[in-house]
Amino acid sequence: MFDYRAAFGIEYQNLFNRTHVEGPLDIGPVLKSGNEFRRGRPWTSVLLGFIGSAQVGPFYLGAVGLASIVCGFIAFEIIGLNMLASVNWDPVQFIRQLPWLALEPPAPAYGLHIPPLAEGGWWLMAGFFLTAAIFLWWVRVYQRARALGMGTHVAWAFASAIFLYLVDGFIRPLLMGSWGEGVPFGIFPHLDWTAALSVRYGNLYYDPFHMLSIVFLYGSTLLFAMHGGTILAVSRYWGEREIELTTDRGTAAERAGLFWRWIMGFNASYESIHRWAWWFAVLCTLTGGIGILLTGTVVDNWYLWGVKHGIAPMYPHVYPYIADPGHLRGVLQ
Amino acid sequence: MRALTAPLELVALALRYSLAGIVAHPWRTRAWVVGLIAIALVFAFGSTLERLPVTSVQLGYRGTAMEAEYNPRLLKPEIEANRLLPALPAVPDAGIPSSKAYKNIKVLQTADANQFLRQMGAFANWINPAAGCAYCHSLNNMASDSLYTKTVTRRMIQMTREINTNWKAHVGGVGVTCYTCHRGNSIPQNVWFTEPPPGAGHGLAETGTGQGSPDKASGLTTLASDPFTPFLLNAMPIRVTGVSDLNIGNNASTKQAEWTYGLMMHFATSLGVACTYCHNTNNFASWDQGTPNRVPAWYGIRMVRDLNRNYMLPLTNVFPAGRKGPMGDVAKINCATCHQGAYKPFYGASDLAAYPLLAQRNTP
Amino acid sequence: MAMLNFEYKYRVRGGTLVGGDLFDFWVGPFYVGFFGVTTAFFSLVGTLLIIWGAAIGPTWNVWRINIAPPDLSYGLGFAPLREGGLWQWITFCALGAFCSWALRMVEIARKLGMGLHVPIAFSGAILAYFTLEVIRPVLMGGWGHGFPYGILSHLDWVSNVGYQHLQFHYNPAHMIAVTFFFTTTFILAMHGGAVLSSLNPPGDEPVKTSAHEDSFFRDLIVYSIGPLGIHRLGWFCAINAGVWSAICIVISGPLWTRGWPEWWNWWLNLPFWR
Repeated sequence: MFDYRAAFGIEYQNLFNRTHVEGPLDIGPVLKSGNEFRRGRPWTSVLLGFIGSAQVGPFYLGAVGLASIVCGFIAFEIIGLNMLASVNWDPVQFIRQLPWLALEPPAPAYGLHIPPLAEGGWWLMAGFFLTAAIFLWWVRVYQRARALGMGTHVAWAFASAIFLYLVDGFIRPLLMGSWGEGVPFGIFPHLDWTAALSVRYGNLYYDPFHMLSIVFLYGSTLLFAMHGGTILAVSRYWGEREIELTTDRGTAAERAGLFWRWIMGFNASYESIHRWAWWFAVLCTLTGGIGILLTGTVVDNWYLWGVKHGIAPMYPHVYPYIADPGHLRGVLQ
Repeated sequence: MRALTAPLELVALALRYSLAGIVAHPWRTRAWVVGLIAIALVFAFGSTLERLPVTSVQLGYRGTAMEAEYNPRLLKPEIEANRLLPALPAVPDAGIPSSKAYKNIKVLQTADANQFLRQMGAFANWINPAAGCAYCHSLNNMASDSLYTKTVTRRMIQMTREINTNWKAHVGGVGVTCYTCHRGNSIPQNVWFTEPPPGAGHGLAETGTGQGSPDKASGLTTLASDPFTPFLLNAMPIRVTGVSDLNIGNNASTKQAEWTYGLMMHFATSLGVACTYCHNTNNFASWDQGTPNRVPAWYGIRMVRDLNRNYMLPLTNVFPAGRKGPMGDVAKINCATCHQGAYKPFYGASDLAAYPLLAQRNTP
Repeated sequence: MAMLNFEYKYRVRGGTLVGGDLFDFWVGPFYVGFFGVTTAFFSLVGTLLIIWGAAIGPTWNVWRINIAPPDLSYGLGFAPLREGGLWQWITFCALGAFCSWALRMVEIARKLGMGLHVPIAFSGAILAYFTLEVIRPVLMGGWGHGFPYGILSHLDWVSNVGYQHLQFHYNPAHMIAVTFFFTTTFILAMHGGAVLSSLNPPGDEPVKTSAHEDSFFRDLIVYSIGPLGIHRLGWFCAINAGVWSAICIVISGPLWTRGWPEWWNWWLNLPFWR
């Protein structure tokens, strides 16, 4: 009789660390610049130890990191205090209405001029400090990789996300000649902005770069399900040691490769799967940014763009022809 | 502050005990704790939702998801709450016009005196059944214009006739009576006042953008707290979507689109319908891909604008200060004023035929 | 070509779920198996049905081809082929192919002595599809509630279902699903970048180790989940993206007919601050 428990039992799928090993904590390789900026004594967390490394810290602070955190804190405070002011400094209402609260960009009438603080000036300032924090953090990502003698792939992937952020909040408003085109800060407000942008520009689903961005978003998720699943499935052969298995192929790498080869006739290698991963993730925000950059600056109605280029479906009519009553009266409003 | 700390303490306590349950016990106990938390969460979430079954009506070509969805359990009380009053029994004509029988008749002067009285009785039932005649008339001298409510009522009769005769493109043969809006309330439950304009916040902080709060006007989104003043009083452009594929000078901003969207949220929530009641959302602007329901909606916007400008605004000085909004403006009309959650007021039921005086054309 | 130099020792009989040795062989690099045959069958029939649907439709333009589900008036019954019946059989074939594919993955994993994480994750995706095309239409009482097969027409369906609920972004399960999608892509970039930066150091630097990856993330953001943990996290987030997508659509309609912004009334009306 086939032992289903042995085959499918959750304890055989290596979803949790069942044994927690305690030993001296890892301070990490000595940095080229020395270790004096590594802060905090590392400690361990039992909960984290269930799914991954139990060790937390140490943390490299340094001047750039500190500056980034300070700038991020300033942006956070500007946004939060303006929101708090908008509920008349009532802490209870602040929490009750928090998802709705906003720090809105200036009214379109201000164009690219500097508005008064209460009418979008704070939004500009929060945007400035948030951007400064993000740029400084990028520098930090780059520097931390270099200090460990590593490549800078994470930093350049981060740069792709920053590109999308800059397009949304800075470059596109600049090209449109209005800060008012920027994204509001706030949970529901930024969702409302997203929906309104699609309404204004005739359906973002018809934006081919939006299509690509979604493809890479779903593709990234698919890739991580495939990759994560494969590595976990060969973790009984220590398949998670990806660096070692790249440089010296072991049975885990052979099985992982054959798994996909037998399924779909093709497999990535232990190194190349991470190139697929990196590119899919990077292209998600890169194509997304291009899609937004073209919206309004070049294309005014993506649906009509789709009609022009022959991609919009044509449904059979279910109603008699409906005329625009505005045209019947000779008035368009 | 108690309101703030009580839920936080509760959450902290729950977290502490559930974490302790998960971490400090053998795995069977852990599984139970995690399972119970999961079940509790599912039930808590489920309690915020509706129940099956639902009904739906197809509004477009198959597979386009153009449809109206209703939950019969929600619809039932709505239908109960949107019922007409029984019409007053018909009365024989008196044979003389009201202007001969009564003094100071200015709007219904050509009506037969008995029909006039019957109509007056209906007004009382519709608008303020508790106060009755006394809401508009000085009981010592019914002909006197001493109460402002009488002046308002005269204008409202003319407005009702205007709707029933000149706005058939919106109200069709169904028409309206006072009860369509008033429902026994001296002030209809759904009226609106102009909000302070954006940028009018005081102080250094950004507080007056007209966005960024749970706005009932725009269906609890943050789109616009007052989508009415620009579109239902003033005639700001509602159509923001580009009319050509490439940009040829449509300067409508994304923010304008938020206000238009806010107005449309008001339409939908006032009528108990969704966007697809009128639009194929693949291209909101297209009339041809949408449904015929959009045509009366188009006239409805013009109608409400006309009524607010020509009937409500001129009454501004008639109303006492207590009846006006924060900006000193008069109460105004929007879709919810008549529709009150129904796609047609009273779900299409009409008793206008029983009150022919309201279906007559205004005498110039 | 058909076999890699190390592949021979892995190509063993057994591990099948049904049928014993039946179809237990390879064609080129592909493993066949019983479920390979059923996959091929359902894929072929489904694809031919799609081509048939395109042929009787108005266009061969690949973007515009639209094979729509039946009218709501057919309820949960069978519709004529030209009026949604094709959609019904294509859906049946798609589910047959997806499930066969997942089971073939199980057989291959068992042959290679691997865990079942990939087919389990794929089941999450199948669940999302099954929810969209079967569970939700059944709960709402009509196959016409399923999405149509067409590159742009299915986007129109998404748009209209979204606006059915006025502002779909306010759907809490949609928020969670989107967050999982974004998070998965975000950590995929971090993981892919970390491995590539260890394997491809600048200049003459030696290849780095996973200890360097750990140190990189600890230096940067206090915590590194480690080489095993990152795959658990990515796998978990990816599955949740699909599962929460299924939840967000199955509650839209069957369990909530109004605009999603209105759902948040419960939060605004909590007794201690309303």
